[in-house]
Amino acid sequence: MSNIITAQNITKRFTEHTALDNVSVEIPTGSVYGLLGPNGAGKTTLIRVINRITVPDEGRILFEDKPITQQDIYRIGYLPEERGLYKKMKVGEHALFLARLKGLSRYEALVRLKEWFVRFGIEDWWNKRVEDLSKGMAQKIQFIVTVLHQPKLLIFDEPFSGFDPINANLLKEEILRLRDQGATVIFSTHNMSSVEEICDHITLINKSKNILSGRVDDIRRSHGNNIFAVQYRGEESAFAPLAELCHVLESDYDKISGLTSAKIHIEKNEDIRSVIAAVNEAVELRSFTEIIPSMNNIFIRAVEGSLNK
Amino acid sequence: MRNIGLIIMREFKERVYKKSFIITTLLMPLLMLALSAAPAVIMFFVRGETKAVSVIDQSGIVAPQLESGDDIQFVVIEDGDLQTELKKSLESEEFGVLFIGSDIVENPNNIQLYTNQSSSMLIEEAIAGQVEEIIEAERLKALNVGDLKRILEQVEVNINLSTFRNGAEQSEATSSAASSFVGIALGFVLYFFLVVYGSIVMQSIIEEKNSRILEVLVSTVRPFDMMMGKILGVASVALTQIAIWGVLLIVISAAVIPAVMPDDILAGVEAVRAGADAAAMVPDMDIEAIAALSSIMDTGYISQIVLLLLLFMMGGFLLYAAMYAAIGASVDQVQDAQQLTTPVMIPIIFAFIILTMVMNDPNSPLVVWCSMIPFTAPIVMMGRIPSGIPTWEVVTSLVLLYATFIVMVWLAGKIYRVGIFMHGKKPTFKELYKWIRY
Repeated sequence: MSNIITAQNITKRFTEHTALDNVSVEIPTGSVYGLLGPNGAGKTTLIRVINRITVPDEGRILFEDKPITQQDIYRIGYLPEERGLYKKMKVGEHALFLARLKGLSRYEALVRLKEWFVRFGIEDWWNKRVEDLSKGMAQKIQFIVTVLHQPKLLIFDEPFSGFDPINANLLKEEILRLRDQGATVIFSTHNMSSVEEICDHITLINKSKNILSGRVDDIRRSHGNNIFAVQYRGEESAFAPLAELCHVLESDYDKISGLTSAKIHIEKNEDIRSVIAAVNEAVELRSFTEIIPSMNNIFIRAVEGSLNK
Repeated sequence: MRNIGLIIMREFKERVYKKSFIITTLLMPLLMLALSAAPAVIMFFVRGETKAVSVIDQSGIVAPQLESGDDIQFVVIEDGDLQTELKKSLESEEFGVLFIGSDIVENPNNIQLYTNQSSSMLIEEAIAGQVEEIIEAERLKALNVGDLKRILEQVEVNINLSTFRNGAEQSEATSSAASSFVGIALGFVLYFFLVVYGSIVMQSIIEEKNSRILEVLVSTVRPFDMMMGKILGVASVALTQIAIWGVLLIVISAAVIPAVMPDDILAGVEAVRAGADAAAMVPDMDIEAIAALSSIMDTGYISQIVLLLLLFMMGGFLLYAAMYAAIGASVDQVQDAQQLTTPVMIPIIFAFIILTMVMNDPNSPLVVWCSMIPFTAPIVMMGRIPSGIPTWEVVTSLVLLYATFIVMVWLAGKIYRVGIFMHGKKPTFKELYKWIRY
């Protein structure tokens, strides 16, 4: 799978600080790519560099393996974090204006807009004034306009901020639907649960540096600490003979069901299969699962880890 | 280019289709008329109250001849004593006491006005005028030449100098009064447009910056295009307004004035247009006024002025709008813009002051220089053009103006590009300089 965007050694300095310090990112075509990082880490700057809004001091951006040009911008849909609309305009007229700026003809824009308005069930907003829309309503319009010209690459900066859970869900579904139709999606967020749900790849940026990059599954697995959750019939003491093989971190016996749930740590060099076999010998095993750390934990650990360095 | 067009269209629609635009465009000329007529109307309806002045005349010559009018009521006090009258006067509500010395005819300075309230130039002049006339008449009488007053009146001459432009195809009547009036009026219109439409550009950029619509636009539209679209969009609105007013003016000069003017004045105008000889034949009429009227009724002259006005207005507007755009992009609030707009306002106000000097001499070195310097040229040129200046001066001034505009737009574009993403702090001039270098 080739990369739709390759950022090579991007450095961007502002007068008082460095926003991006030698950041390289590869965004595979067809992926949903999460850009994570604490506030002020440089996510928005990276997005602006990819968008050609900001010119990097060093490094370059490749769009489908060629240096990005102004023409490529028409194949990108960008929803900025801070987004506004002209308050005095009518919704339909405004959407048309933005759509035409993206290179659509008036007729094409009109047809596609009508489709989207029907899909979101907001046909009757067409002649409303923008100032009469709630924040969430305005967000929907902005979303529609962002994806209207069917860009190959979609960039959402903090798309979920300001959305209520219902609309956030709608947005998630639309993002996945767009990916299924062949678009690549980049989004920046603090919302870790959404990362686990919809991202295939992530990059974690902290203090202007790329500190963690890769597939979400791989990252979570590689950050696993060999901790497993075990559930078996019997009391806690039944586990005592296994002390050599593994270390019980915590365990809890439930009298009513007669089940014990425990968290155990297995040394890296131990063979998992033989541990399972041994446990299976000793107790009536109900479940044995690896506890994979959540992105949230990885995020916090990575950020703190980079602080300590 | 397509995007600039779309932005201009949006800007134009948003402003011109508004009711307030239509109303102001139609009401503005009426308002201007009303404003220029207002002082006369107020004078007519609101008379100052009559001021009572006690007169102590030791000579006995002046007091009987003083005439009370609507403004001043003279109360002659026979054999009055100044000190007691002054005391009495303080307690009454009268304006004051006029003391005339006994040797007033020989020594005209022996006259004093003691006022109980703050004095006024008008009253002082009215009193002095009357007293002067009375003393003059007394002195003439003393010379003992019969009928001297009538002889003096016959000798008096009043000259109306008609001026003609030498070298024009036919010696065309010009009126410096009309020229300078038209010039000042145009200069004022331009001043108004620079300030009003310039700050519209600034304010709407600040607004767009705060509503974060710029963030949405910036991915597809280059910042420079965004700024140019904004400037040209607002310019197209201003142009529309000017065009509507221009058409109104031409209609008035071509149709309305001939219809309402009395025939003899129109004949005078025709005569003035025909040339010097015919003009000399028009007796007994205010040549100056007729020449002025002739200029205003000359549709060709008006169209030419309107065309030049548009050229200078566009140039001046684009130049100043670029500066206003840069300021708008670099601040978050209109209040913060105050400090930055000062250097923009200064040349505009300076040009306006120079404009008033154009009235005295449209070709003085200072005025000519200021009509070449791009920052003052648009306004000052408005004052000079109606009185007729060499074409090369107009062309040079225009070329300089548009060249400066291009440089200014380039600079403003650099500030704009950085400024629209800067939030929450007020930039200094030093920082703006940094943004340009950036």
